[in-house]
Amino acid sequence: MDQDPVVKKVVLDVLKPHQPQIPELASRIAACQGVERVGISLAEIDQNTESIKISIEGSDVKIDVVRKCIEDLGATIHSIDEVEVVKKTSQK
Amino acid sequence: MREHIERIRFYLKIAGVTAIYRRYFVMNAFDGALTALGVVLGAWASGAIQPRVIVGAGVGVSLAMGMSGFSGAYLAERAERLRRLRELERSLLRSLERSVHSRALRTAILWAAAVDALSPALSSLTSISPFVAAQYGLISVNEAAAASVITVFAILFILGLFTGKVSREHMFISGLRMLIVGVSTAALILLWTGYMG
Repeated sequence: MDQDPVVKKVVLDVLKPHQPQIPELASRIAACQGVERVGISLAEIDQNTESIKISIEGSDVKIDVVRKCIEDLGATIHSIDEVEVVKKTSQK
Repeated sequence: MREHIERIRFYLKIAGVTAIYRRYFVMNAFDGALTALGVVLGAWASGAIQPRVIVGAGVGVSLAMGMSGFSGAYLAERAERLRRLRELERSLLRSLERSVHSRALRTAILWAAAVDALSPALSSLTSISPFVAAQYGLISVNEAAAASVITVFAILFILGLFTGKVSREHMFISGLRMLIVGVSTAALILLWTGYMG
């Protein structure tokens, strides 16, 4: 019996352009592999950019996949502010 | 196919282009219609009206306007959009080369160029189309000239309705406004060619 850690939740501090807008961005991230729930809150708005907090939840969130998804949408991850990891019991 | 259309729609939304394309469409369709009016009325008033010549000149003018529209819009849009992308990259402190913004930029440029090329070409081709019927002897030259002028006025009126809808003004008045421009242009051409002749 092995216990592999899996990411259940991650909160990211992200800088994004105004487009795509927050609802569109959330839907696109939700379509990424391993993501089941996405929450976004706006922290600050600038002339060209918006600072946002993205909360991503799933049964097995792959941070690299999420990073790729977010960066493909033109946004950039400033920091990982919160992570929730659980041990998934798997038989080997 | 549907996925492809959705993707293009997403890119156009990101590029924020709807208003620009509307402007391009109205301005260039207007250009195309008035150019056709100039060709038809100029030839008619100077007595050199022949269906073959009008069709040839009309197709030539449409192609030239299409090419001019495509290359002009392509170059101008490319310059403006690249500048905006670089500004955005500076704000984000990253390259957007491998992002949806870069793909949206290419789509937006091509779309603008296509609208800028097709709208004048199609409106002028439609305007001179009665002369194709005259070329095959289906209608007389004078009937073709009249039908052509009416087509131009109809295109201008429809463009006026469209701009009225965009500005949420009275559509009919907006259509009439465009029509007045067309009628004034026609009067000016007839007066000028009459004076010259």
